[in-house]
Amino acid sequence: MYEQPTGGAAFPVPKTMDLHILDHRLRVTSISKNGLVSYTHPLIKLIFLRNRTRCKFFSLTETPENYTVVLDEEGFKELQPSEHLQVESSVWLPLNVVSNGSVSSSSQAVGVTKIAKSVIAPLAQQHVSVFMLSTYQTDFILVREKDLSVVISTLEEEFNIYKEVEGESVPVHCQDVSNGLQKNGKEALQPTVHPVLIPQNQFCVMSLDPDTLPSIATTLIDVLFYSNSPKEDSQLSANQDLDCIQFFSFSLIDGYISLVMDTEAQRRFPADLLFTSSSGELWRMVRIGGQPLGFDECGIVAQISQPLAEGDISAYYISTFSFDHALVPEEDIVSVTDMLHHQRKEAAAS
Amino acid sequence: MSGSKPDILWSPHHPDLYVICDSELGLYRIGPVGGTETKPGTLSLSKETAATLLAINSDTPYMKCVAWYPKHEPECLLAVGQANGRVVLTSLGQNHNSTCKELVGKEFVPKHARQCNTLAWNPVDSNLLAAGLDKHRADFSVLIWDISSKFAPETSVAAEKIRLSFVDLDSSSVVTKPLYELGQNDACLSLCWLLRDPKLLLAGMHRNLAIFDLRNTSQKMFVNTKAIQGVTVDPHFHDRVASFFEGQVAIWDLRKFEKPVLTLTEQPKPLIKVAWCPTRTGLLATLTRDSNIIRLYDMQHTPTPIGDETEPTIIERSVQPCESQIGSFAWHPSSQNRMVVVSASNRVMTDFTVFERVSLAWSSTTSLTWACGRHLYDCVEDSTGGTEGAAETDIATKMRERAQSRYGHDTVQVWRNHLLAGGTDPQLKSLWFDLFYMKQCAEDQELKLQGNKQSVVYSGIKNIIKTSSGTTESRRCWSGSDRQADVPRFYSEERCLALRLCGWISRGPDINVETFLRSLEHEREWERAAAIALFNLDIRRAIQILNKGAMAENGDLNLNVVAMALSGYTDEKSSLWREMCSSLRLQLKNPYLCVMFAFLTSEAGAYDGVLYESSVAVRDRVAFACMFLGDAQLPRYIDKLTNDMKEAGNLEGILLTGLTKDGVDLMESYVDRTADVQTASFCMLKGSPGEVLKDPRVQCWIENYRNLLDAWRFWHKRAEFDILRGKMDPSSKPLAQVFVSCNFCGKSISYSCSAIPHQGRGFSQYGVSGSPTKSKVTSCPGCRKPLPRCALCLMNMGTPVSGCSGTGKSDEKVDLTRENKLAQFKNWFTWCHNCRHGGHAGHMLSWFRDHTECPVSACTCKCMQLDTTGNLVPADSS
Repeated sequence: MYEQPTGGAAFPVPKTMDLHILDHRLRVTSISKNGLVSYTHPLIKLIFLRNRTRCKFFSLTETPENYTVVLDEEGFKELQPSEHLQVESSVWLPLNVVSNGSVSSSSQAVGVTKIAKSVIAPLAQQHVSVFMLSTYQTDFILVREKDLSVVISTLEEEFNIYKEVEGESVPVHCQDVSNGLQKNGKEALQPTVHPVLIPQNQFCVMSLDPDTLPSIATTLIDVLFYSNSPKEDSQLSANQDLDCIQFFSFSLIDGYISLVMDTEAQRRFPADLLFTSSSGELWRMVRIGGQPLGFDECGIVAQISQPLAEGDISAYYISTFSFDHALVPEEDIVSVTDMLHHQRKEAAAS
Repeated sequence: MSGSKPDILWSPHHPDLYVICDSELGLYRIGPVGGTETKPGTLSLSKETAATLLAINSDTPYMKCVAWYPKHEPECLLAVGQANGRVVLTSLGQNHNSTCKELVGKEFVPKHARQCNTLAWNPVDSNLLAAGLDKHRADFSVLIWDISSKFAPETSVAAEKIRLSFVDLDSSSVVTKPLYELGQNDACLSLCWLLRDPKLLLAGMHRNLAIFDLRNTSQKMFVNTKAIQGVTVDPHFHDRVASFFEGQVAIWDLRKFEKPVLTLTEQPKPLIKVAWCPTRTGLLATLTRDSNIIRLYDMQHTPTPIGDETEPTIIERSVQPCESQIGSFAWHPSSQNRMVVVSASNRVMTDFTVFERVSLAWSSTTSLTWACGRHLYDCVEDSTGGTEGAAETDIATKMRERAQSRYGHDTVQVWRNHLLAGGTDPQLKSLWFDLFYMKQCAEDQELKLQGNKQSVVYSGIKNIIKTSSGTTESRRCWSGSDRQADVPRFYSEERCLALRLCGWISRGPDINVETFLRSLEHEREWERAAAIALFNLDIRRAIQILNKGAMAENGDLNLNVVAMALSGYTDEKSSLWREMCSSLRLQLKNPYLCVMFAFLTSEAGAYDGVLYESSVAVRDRVAFACMFLGDAQLPRYIDKLTNDMKEAGNLEGILLTGLTKDGVDLMESYVDRTADVQTASFCMLKGSPGEVLKDPRVQCWIENYRNLLDAWRFWHKRAEFDILRGKMDPSSKPLAQVFVSCNFCGKSISYSCSAIPHQGRGFSQYGVSGSPTKSKVTSCPGCRKPLPRCALCLMNMGTPVSGCSGTGKSDEKVDLTRENKLAQFKNWFTWCHNCRHGGHAGHMLSWFRDHTECPVSACTCKCMQLDTTGNLVPADSS
């Protein structure tokens, strides 16, 4: 049974990566800031009372525009439709890339950078729209269910693809899915180059022992639901200028908690409960999009991730209902800024 | 292990120390109740044991897992895995060891913080500590730390990068560089080092079990499964591993790692702990959430689950160590089957020993063996013991001895069988004499009556008397006296036959007991002889016998006194002699002397004093009755006596019942009383074949006796018994079931004999003497192709005898000497049913005396081991 870390020895070209199609059917929704009050009840249930819900995939991201909630169908049942709830009509499936074995790649970079070439770019070429969700533990690539056959045929060359069904990983091949391979037609237009915004706050990506979640409950509720309340500290509110962006992300996926918050928010949590990398790295944000991006445009992630990959710069990437957000290491922000400016100039020139 | 879920760890080296960990670590010492340390803080764990809290350590918050350092020194060193992935070394109680001081407080910090799920010390290289962590996007989930390593130089560099206040690393005791990093981009939920090679680490990863080899970390062996929690190696069988998923335990064999060798019945609640018993092979204990029982799976009987298709059998049972719900349990490392259990809610501990199942086995002789745990008890009855050697009086022992002395096999001098049985049992003596006389009469009758009365002989005196007719009455004189005796005596042919069966008279028309008297004198049965002489109205002879008895060596002089009393006999009804004799006779100890005077003092026809004297042998009483009871009284008396005998199961009654259904009834109550199926079997085989042998009770006794012989490994005895049985009851002979068939034409090689099995079997057909067949037996009689060759001598199989010996008649063999018989067997065909190689039985026997493998050179079949009985030696030598 000793197997090369490459996996299937029968293949002439070893595939070093596995792609797992996870057993979740996801909906992407948005709750308006005004409407939050009518959704606090289900959200608290989904965050804190894990054994009262069968939701296995839950992500809540607060942005200045709205709250983006990504959750599986079990969790979606909890959300009552209202004028404050916008729902993207498709069902999305999360994909997860697992490097098979312990080949130490030359690149030290993590996050989307690692999969930029192998997943993001090919999917962009095939006009598959992706919705990215990076967490402390891993990166989820959400694709529409209807695009699955295209995704599989596109990525099959590079990956061993498995579909997870009730906890078992089942290998998937192209012929297993519908034969009518529908290409997302439309001849490749020159993709729009979106404006970017680089706020000043520093972010950290952290995790938490789910057992200790109750002990930070009040802080978490405060941060999530009362961020707009007038603060006692006038100093802080003075800081809420355009240079900083309000951004907080909480996800609880398959029992793992991931938190993305700025250092401001991080200070409000007890120091010893949240954990992160021992180096304690900090991240800067690049927000993509001048106006809401929608869900149909392709190549947005590729646009950012490809240059980052070329520069071997780690990045997290969190898509929300309106905009996309990339997190890059603080020390690399200058080169990233330069690179993006260069890209924009080129686009303008062409 | 947060607050609500306690766990227990036994010290690897101190059998009395253990640690309970929930939110803190508590070290306990377990000892006998009321020992030297009867402090108020002592907690009772069981009726005999109590625990004392020695130390508490609450230095490490957010504990997720704990592992005890496996070496002797430092003794209470523990590794604690925390919720943030750090592993901290800590200790309990005082420890003056310098290495310990150096190690305690040391921290091992992963690059990216996440929960530490499991810890495992390498059992050999105890510097290696493996930690299993949750998943992180870019980091490894299995980190192997070297606890002896100094702090990593990188920490100083890293410290510059630290800007988050909570990561306050005390760089002197923090190690951030693991020795090995395994399992990238994966989660590790359980770990254990393999005992077969300490460089191998088994890890329960997210959705697969992986074996990492530290010598080549780029390779791993893995199998996809959901059962990835709680991996644990069987300490007694290093290739056997248990793991679980929710409510199901999977057992793996590392040599055949593709799938579990077995899965245990799924429990409705998720499992929380699975542990092999360290003191007993193949015992696995499992605990589910919210349960107050521990389930035990005994895989004792399947030490090697690789055995081809055999589904391993598992004995499952549950134990309930305490009333409350169990939080965790731990096997004691050395004390057999012992565990400590801690309750889920309030840290109540219970010391508990799982009681072994007791298995018990009787031997075929009188000993008894039972096993409990590691103890094997052998119970042999003490033959020299005070209770008169209960083993020797046990019927099984007796039957075994009798079987060895060929009891029941003397078919000519049938009465001798009682001597073969030891000659001490009067009932057996009576039985075998009865059977002897029956045989004598039957043979005699055959000559005289051409067999038409043969069956009467075996039908018993009861039936013989019923057919009686033409009884004549006579009054005879006392011989040697001219006085007319007023004693009527009865005579008929049937009564005469009855007397013969009683052994009083031998053939001939005269009732002459003289031969019998002489034989009794010879056996020094003076009183009996005198009584029988008296009953034959020969008072002088009686006196003479008594005198002889008194004179004989060691004779009883009192017999002279009796003779004197006898000589004073008078038939005066009112004489003093009569009066005194009738009252004083009761004080005579010998029943025969007693009945003599009873007879002399009785009125004619009123002989109750004789007839119901139970100490007098039945045959004598019956003979007496046949002489002195009339046609009306006699059947009544016989019937009554028969019923008494049947009820008591007294074998003397066989004289009355014969070998009839009545006799079987009698024998049934005898067997019920004594369990002596041996005597019952032989007795029933002595009679004429017929209804009796078909009686299911008789068949049952015979079968049981054969089983007994088999159990004793008295196979030769059983064969002898079967031969005897076959003679008496030809229907019991089994038909030939095995034939040797030709490889080419498929016809039986013994075709010529088996084709006409029930017609006259001439000698020539068996090829014993006929030379024409002799030439043909090395080839198939059907197709003339040669028979297979013996694997050893390479000669074609087949000799005149071997070809048909399977169906040979036992009669022929009787005439053969022992050597001939052996030679005959040596030439038989024999072959292994597995590899189909074989040859002459004699050659095979001698080959397998020294070898286990097949004699054919390319064949590796272990023929002899496949033969379950082949290695057993018969216990009877003949």
